[in-house]
Amino acid sequence: MCPDNKPGSERQTQDSLVAGFPSGRLWPMEKPFTVLRVSLYHPTLGPAAFTSIPPRLQHDINPLLIGRGQGAHLRLQLPNLSRRHLSLEPYLEAGSTLLAFCLKSLSRKGCVCVNGLKLTYLEQVPLSTVNKISFSNVQMVVHLEKGTSLEAFVCHFHLSPSPLIYRPEAEETDDWESIPQEQPPLGSGEQTPGHVGFLHGPPQTWDSLLQPSPGGGTEI
Amino acid sequence: IMTSFEDADTEETVTCLRMTVYHPGQLESGIFQSIRFYNREKLSSSEVVKFGRNSNVCHYTFQDKQVSRVQFSLQLFKKLNSPVLSFEIKNMSKKIDLMVDSSKLGYLNKMDLPYKCMVRFGEYQFLMEKEEGESLEVFETQFIFSPISLLQENNWPPHRPIPEYGSYSSCSTQSSSPTEMDENES
Repeated sequence: MCPDNKPGSERQTQDSLVAGFPSGRLWPMEKPFTVLRVSLYHPTLGPAAFTSIPPRLQHDINPLLIGRGQGAHLRLQLPNLSRRHLSLEPYLEAGSTLLAFCLKSLSRKGCVCVNGLKLTYLEQVPLSTVNKISFSNVQMVVHLEKGTSLEAFVCHFHLSPSPLIYRPEAEETDDWESIPQEQPPLGSGEQTPGHVGFLHGPPQTWDSLLQPSPGGGTEI
Repeated sequence: IMTSFEDADTEETVTCLRMTVYHPGQLESGIFQSIRFYNREKLSSSEVVKFGRNSNVCHYTFQDKQVSRVQFSLQLFKKLNSPVLSFEIKNMSKKIDLMVDSSKLGYLNKMDLPYKCMVRFGEYQFLMEKEEGESLEVFETQFIFSPISLLQENNWPPHRPIPEYGSYSSCSTQSSSPTEMDENES
């Protein structure tokens, strides 16, 4: 795990990388981390399902394991969750310098739904900018903010008191669920996480997922 | 004994990745001393198998300072709506590109591993061959030692069959079946 960075920004300080300024002063070159903003919801257990989740988790470029077992980097105390349920694997697409992520199902008995697509054991799919993920009654929305650091990435967790996903089960998708998603600007520091409210209807763009919902979402 | 054989669960065939390896300095340097050649090792199908110099992290290690601590990794995955298991290879080295046939993988780049392909980094050559199996639970690996280079001057890439008459030409458009000629054309 990389050491903590200065507060107020998600950046990695690399003493070995310096940039020369015209004044002759040398400043360490800081590379912003890729940030996964993760909102979590459980319909029956509520926030109690996520007591072991820290508000912030920094992880190296190996896959991040989510599950019930001791070997999981993100442990959820849910009896119907597999010990290793899924992984988030950072990688680089050809020609890109920004981390991409691949979600892989590691559960032999359960499945993982990603943006309406049902994944069974060993199936995987690349993550988009905004992702609706459900598994074992957990609803998880992951918003990806790309940074240039290739040493590590950071997860920020938000526990939602209200449902996050309109259709948690993998069903036939409507046309509006296949709307292309826009890339966000590079992560330049911590931003106030938007509350991911419940969808009241088909959004025009994925940006509406991040609109603050006063008083929490409304369950249909 | 016969009763237990007849009553036993049906065994599934297992996906096997056979890796034939070569390095020009392999005999003098002991770089493959940690590799158990010809041994078929069973691994969990969800395991990410790392290759490199660091024995604390890597499953297969090479005693060579020119090898990165973690050089590359292999993992199984299942393509959507397919019963077949496929391998994916990922370059974990910041300094050395990984060649998969003619494709170049930089740091953290990954790609599907063709069922038969040549993987190269530095002077290392790995001929990777996948045997398909039914099991989703486990897969096998097997290392084969090659005393000679695996590259073109020997048998890679595989040449087309040389015809009985004439000579082999990579630009040849000659068909493999005899063509009829009118006797007046001879």
